[in-house]
Amino acid sequence: MVAAINSLQINNSTKNKTRLLRKVSKTFLVTSILIMILSGIALFIYTRSLLLNEIEEELYSNKDRVERLLESNPQIVGIPPIMMAEKTNIAQKNILVDTLIYDPLQDEVELFRQLSGTKNINGQEYKITVRAMVIESEDILFAIVLTFSTIIFFAFIFLFYLNKSRNEKLWKPFFVNLEKLKSFSLKSDQTLHLSESNIIEFDELNKEMLVLTNQVQVDYRNLKQFTEDVSHEMRTPLAIMQVKIDTLINGENINEGQFEQLNSLQSDIQRLKQLNNRLILLAKIDNHQFTENETIFVNEMLTQSINNFKEITQTSINLDDNHELKIVMDRTLASVLLNNLLTNALKHNLNNLPISVLIYERSLQVINDGTTALNHPENIFDRFYKESKKPDSTGLGLSIVKKICDYYGFVPSYRFEHNKKQHIFEIDFNEKK
Amino acid sequence: MKYLIAEDEKDLQQSIATYLSHDANLCETASDYQEASEKLELYEYDLVILDINLLTGSGLDLLRNLKKQHKKCGVIIISANSSLDNKLEGLDLGADDYITKPFHLAELNSRIKAVLRRGQFGGSDSITFHEIRMDTFSRSTYVNDKPIVLTRKEYDLLLFFITNQGRVLSKAIIAEHLWGDDSDLLDNFDFIYVHINNLRKKLTEEGAKYIQTAYGSGYKFIAD
Repeated sequence: MVAAINSLQINNSTKNKTRLLRKVSKTFLVTSILIMILSGIALFIYTRSLLLNEIEEELYSNKDRVERLLESNPQIVGIPPIMMAEKTNIAQKNILVDTLIYDPLQDEVELFRQLSGTKNINGQEYKITVRAMVIESEDILFAIVLTFSTIIFFAFIFLFYLNKSRNEKLWKPFFVNLEKLKSFSLKSDQTLHLSESNIIEFDELNKEMLVLTNQVQVDYRNLKQFTEDVSHEMRTPLAIMQVKIDTLINGENINEGQFEQLNSLQSDIQRLKQLNNRLILLAKIDNHQFTENETIFVNEMLTQSINNFKEITQTSINLDDNHELKIVMDRTLASVLLNNLLTNALKHNLNNLPISVLIYERSLQVINDGTTALNHPENIFDRFYKESKKPDSTGLGLSIVKKICDYYGFVPSYRFEHNKKQHIFEIDFNEKK
Repeated sequence: MKYLIAEDEKDLQQSIATYLSHDANLCETASDYQEASEKLELYEYDLVILDINLLTGSGLDLLRNLKKQHKKCGVIIISANSSLDNKLEGLDLGADDYITKPFHLAELNSRIKAVLRRGQFGGSDSITFHEIRMDTFSRSTYVNDKPIVLTRKEYDLLLFFITNQGRVLSKAIIAEHLWGDDSDLLDNFDFIYVHINNLRKKLTEEGAKYIQTAYGSGYKFIAD
């Protein structure tokens, strides 16, 4: 159950997770696009202001030149539209403006930067206007930004692929070991072998992982051994108790009441014995002690089991065997699997109503009547989980069913049919391994 | 019959010995490997009840030695280990039966009798109780030499009764003998009651009234 919850959580959480390399690439891509845009804008602004300064400086020095020329020759009118000088009466400070002027040479309206101001030369005010074409500097500006962007774009693409392949190589030991960890099984006796790495952190991770898995494996093995040992050790004291009661019953001086008490003790011992047998069976399946696989004819085996059960139960069992079901597994386990399913249905059946067993091509259903659905159907295959208060139930029957199914990759399931008020147990024999 | 009980748990050993002595059998006991080994070499037994895990050695080694000496004696292994491998190893070595702890004394007794009946160890195919005679080879039953027809379960039941004559048998013990582990499915013992009643009727018709009720809910097979 806990395992089921865990895997559920893992499944849920992987939905919004990305792969490491993808994430790194994505980060790189986003960052580089951002840097490209920002640096392009910065370059544009900086170059533009540089070019503007350049133009203004040129305009000022041109104006100076015109002023100086005017001092020696007041008749100059300049070279329209680039430089112009005219007499005026109103003094004016220097003004910088953009202006559109028709250039007859090129026959179009061009954008000019214009500096105009007055200068008093030899007692006469002159208005001097100098202009420079902006268009040329803009061309230069765009050329620079474009060249820069292209270079940086290709540089980033190159870096992107370089980075990607470097990352792949760098993280390779990590991914290799991750795969190994995924295929590692607690239950197998094989220890985990991780590939070496010359990266200190990976190496440390490997070492910790090895220590951890070894410890868990040892603990698991001990636990398994413990269950089996305890179960075996329990049997001798149980045997002593049982034979002592047998001896007492056959003794002279007991009365009816005492006989009943002793009988009830016997049945408790019997319960312990059943519990014990089932725990050992579970341990044996864990230890892979059932390896004699053969083809089992389920129809035949079921018919036989049902005949056996007929002798000890009034409940009739209806077998619907229209399909022939054959599975490959250990004979002992097959018999335990079928018997436990039947036993469960018989024990929890309602008012001796008949039980149905349905055989399909690759699955099997055992159906018994009930009153209500189980409160916790997800726990039904857990060890010692009991929904009913039947005193003689060990709570292990269905967990053995689950264990056997897991061992062969079969899928057991339970559902309650509300319309018909029936408990339905189904085994899907399509191996999921 | 002469039995040796090689079992290191004193309580178990004594209880078995007491139960088996009831039929005028001679029971000797051994509490460890050495004692058992010595007794097996010095004396002849009809049957040995052998615990696999003796404190000072393995019961399987005793069995090996026994078979080496070609002694004609039945062997029943009792073990706390139910694993099939263990069982097969014991039977391969020549044990006649294998019983897993915990067991009922009546069940052990019935297994012992079955081994002895196989003929080699001084028993025979036929078992007799007053006018009742059962042929275990053909699985047929006679009362005063007149054959009576019993179902399979009735036959097993009668055999179990005669084997454990004079002992109190609870319905649970009978159920376990007849149906083994499936018997825990029984919600009540009505089924046994039906079988016992039918058997009792068939015997009584022939004048053999031996099945008696003991302590209200148990049974005892006894001649008055």
